[in-house]
Amino acid sequence: MTELERTLSRLGEELDWPPTPDLASSLRARLSAPPARRPGLLPAAGLRSSLALALVALLLLAGTALAALPGVRDAVLELFGLQGAAVERRATLPTPPPERPLDLGTHATLAGARASLGFEPLLPAELGPPDGVYVRRGVPGAELSLTYRSRPGMPRAGTTRVGLLVTEFRGDLAPEYLGKVVGLSATVERPRIDGGRALWIEGAPHFFLYRDPDGNVAESQMRLAQDVLLLERDRLLVRLEGAFGRDRAIALARSLR
Amino acid sequence: MEDRPPTEELVARAKRGDLDAYEEIVRRHQSIAFRTAWLITGSVADAEEAAQDGFLKAHGALARFREGAPLRPWLLTIVANEARNRARSAGRRERLALRVAEERRPGGAVPSPEAALLDSERRDELLTALAGLPDHDRQVIACRYFLDLSEEETAAALGCRRGTVKSRLARALGRLRERVEVADD
Repeated sequence: MTELERTLSRLGEELDWPPTPDLASSLRARLSAPPARRPGLLPAAGLRSSLALALVALLLLAGTALAALPGVRDAVLELFGLQGAAVERRATLPTPPPERPLDLGTHATLAGARASLGFEPLLPAELGPPDGVYVRRGVPGAELSLTYRSRPGMPRAGTTRVGLLVTEFRGDLAPEYLGKVVGLSATVERPRIDGGRALWIEGAPHFFLYRDPDGNVAESQMRLAQDVLLLERDRLLVRLEGAFGRDRAIALARSLR
Repeated sequence: MEDRPPTEELVARAKRGDLDAYEEIVRRHQSIAFRTAWLITGSVADAEEAAQDGFLKAHGALARFREGAPLRPWLLTIVANEARNRARSAGRRERLALRVAEERRPGGAVPSPEAALLDSERRDELLTALAGLPDHDRQVIACRYFLDLSEEETAAALGCRRGTVKSRLARALGRLRERVEVADD
């Protein structure tokens, strides 16, 4: 073995691999399904979604697949992932945290945020300048939040009290930074937006949380969220939250420049 | 030390429909399968789906698995196929983000700041050089040295012959050496 090969082997031991999901438990649950309801080898996203709902009783026995969330001890029924975000479906939601003002980090100007972020921000082109700009540290490349006041077609959301909340961060550098926990009645779809992957979550309030660098979830970082579109755009994970529908959310996502 | 049943026994039991045995097989191989899929897709979500669907497909094909044959290359072939299908259907290529874990970066446990700096520079230089290589080159190097796969397993992961792995690896190392040397100039 040459010096270069030895160095490569050493480097392999030091790489920051993404954490391996608990495939064994989720596979076990899928294989335990009655044959008539078992998914195909490459099931469509919608089929997977309905299958998971049909398997509630079996899956509850499968054990917890992900890191524990405060107040939640039952199994993950379904898992959807994007680079930078993971959405778990569970039968039991955590206890709703007390209502508190939205904590989006430090108020900033757009120019100031641009200078301090590890990425070029994307803005919904059709809405004009944002009404609020915030930067939060604690994630590689930092996190940008933009708020827009309500307007026709974009009513004030009960959870954020603004018309639109846009959040962006480097999903490639923080693969599991943002999490969501949805209950059985929420709809989760996987639309493609201009070829990129996305998740649309609607139908019931769901939990939104951040993981700290050790993967733990602080209670103070959980809150209830309204309808949400998550999408990957190159290295970024972008999150749009509001009280508008799926089509409007996708149109806003398409206008991100 | 925990007394773990050998893989051959688990395979035989899984073939008879023992789900506990197959769950244990998946548990033993999920990390290498997921990482292999991640190297191919560059996406955590796609890698997870590919590994999960690959294991599901492998379960359905267990009856055709030849007893006594090595299981890991067989599983990796199936999972890597799933990963390649996803990478193709994604319509755009994910850029694999290889980086060194923060706790491995220079700190109190290293021999000296100078040595740590050299190590750190060397690592960054190699990662930069690797990022500039074509996908084929980067994948064969990653399979052999980062995942420590055998030639047979690398061939299974990359969907090529064992002989191709040898020649591709030699070329990839040559290109990497050139880039590192150029970077040294």
